Amino acid sequence: MQSKKGKKINYINILQILTLVALLVYMQVAVTKGAVSKVFLAAPTDIIEEGVQIISDGTLWPHFLVSVEEILVGYGIAAVVGIGLGILWTLFPKLEEYMNVFCAAIMAIPKVAILPLLVLWFGIGFKSKVVLIFLFSVFTILYNTVTGAKECKESYHKVARVFEASRVQTVFTVVLPSALPTIFTGLRLAAATAFTGVVFSEMQSAKAGVGYLLSEAQTLLNTPRVFFLIILITVMSVLFVKIISLIEYSVCHKWRKV
Amino acid sequence: MPKILIKNVSKTYEDTNGNPTDAIKEISLEVEDGEFVSIVGPSGCGKSTLIEIVAGLQKQTAGEVFIGENPVTGPSREIGVVFQDAALFPWKTVKKNILYGMEIAKISKDEQEKKLDQYLHLMNLKGFEDKYPSQLSGGMRQRAGIARTLIMNPKVTLMDEPFSAVDHLTRCTLQEELVRIHQKEKKTVLFVTHDINEAVFLSDRVVLLSPRPSVIQREYRINVSHPRSRTDDYLVHIASEIVADISRGAISQESDFII
Repeated sequence: MQSKKGKKINYINILQILTLVALLVYMQVAVTKGAVSKVFLAAPTDIIEEGVQIISDGTLWPHFLVSVEEILVGYGIAAVVGIGLGILWTLFPKLEEYMNVFCAAIMAIPKVAILPLLVLWFGIGFKSKVVLIFLFSVFTILYNTVTGAKECKESYHKVARVFEASRVQTVFTVVLPSALPTIFTGLRLAAATAFTGVVFSEMQSAKAGVGYLLSEAQTLLNTPRVFFLIILITVMSVLFVKIISLIEYSVCHKWRKV
Repeated sequence: MPKILIKNVSKTYEDTNGNPTDAIKEISLEVEDGEFVSIVGPSGCGKSTLIEIVAGLQKQTAGEVFIGENPVTGPSREIGVVFQDAALFPWKTVKKNILYGMEIAKISKDEQEKKLDQYLHLMNLKGFEDKYPSQLSGGMRQRAGIARTLIMNPKVTLMDEPFSAVDHLTRCTLQEELVRIHQKEKKTVLFVTHDINEAVFLSDRVVLLSPRPSVIQREYRINVSHPRSRTDDYLVHIASEIVADISRGAISQESDFII
């Protein structure tokens, strides 16, 4: 029974690998034979060669570091502020009542539309990127924290009340732990959007970063490099989300079912 | 001086149309020190409302509740509550769940450890202290829930259908354990259940509430010493009498009694 099931999966896996190989072979042949212009498509061997080239000659490394730094700082501040403000709102509902309309308004602005303003205020360097990533991520984290806190079960509140827990004790011992899964969902969603933010802003106006390198490669019609950078950015983004999931697992796996 | 004194307590809700509806009406009840009293009644008769009022979790619309000499004005550590589904925190181990009240009360770690050991023993939870609630059976979870309440040494213990979510055999075991603990600790207990046999087996006195608006329909004193036999003629007789009273009082009412 089990081997049959295993065989079935293998069969589909083989098809998937074949499809991928066929696609790569097509790209390779089409480009090297000249059927498709080198400007539109890159041969896989060229992509690899270009990748090895920019890694070994040191072109990529400083840009890569700049992007990672922008992400870590912008996302880090967003996580601290988002969760912190979420806690404050839970502790003081009046504060939420007062601030919510402003936060909702800022959240509604398409973040990419305020990039020109951010560049004016903070320049085309590190600061404007950090602010943009922050704005990209903070609301998702904030609203997930607040929603999670509101979804805390009534029976948990009753337990806290019969033991005469203070408001602060209730929030920190009951409400926040019960909201953890929702908070992590917010952190994961925000991690993906943070990457969109950094690549976009670097492509628009920057002196460094992976997004800057990407837009430069496009201008120079260096299509293999464009392909390589797209793959690199995708891998970075997936890894970042995975890291958040790993942190969530290490915090919650003991008590959550599954 | 009764331990729990419920004096003319009423609770009126506003229904969805804004009309006042009586949930419970002028209930008066006294529970003596060390007594085990069960409240039974048809579903929706306000048993849980009454117990939440005694616990200070809900405000009555009229009347008063006293624990000893003090009127109940809100929840208090002196009033222990065991909830229907145990209401353990899934993110805490059994140990941390049991110690929750002591943590909140900022009782010293030494004292906590000493008491923990004692109550793990009492509730047969030894060896399970580092497990999480999701890793436990329903019966084990409720044991932990009871331990969390008793460890605070409350003046009275209120139990709101604590065994309704566990299977029959586990329920019987838990009932016997509860009797053993009550014999040992002589706590004042107010126990809500819809299982008449459970009420009769456990209690010194059973109070029958009528359907909405509920008033006390009848009280039954059960003068049988522990350990009791479930097939004791007198207990069986009282149980059937309660059932007869319920069907008399609630002829057209749907009931969910386990007879």
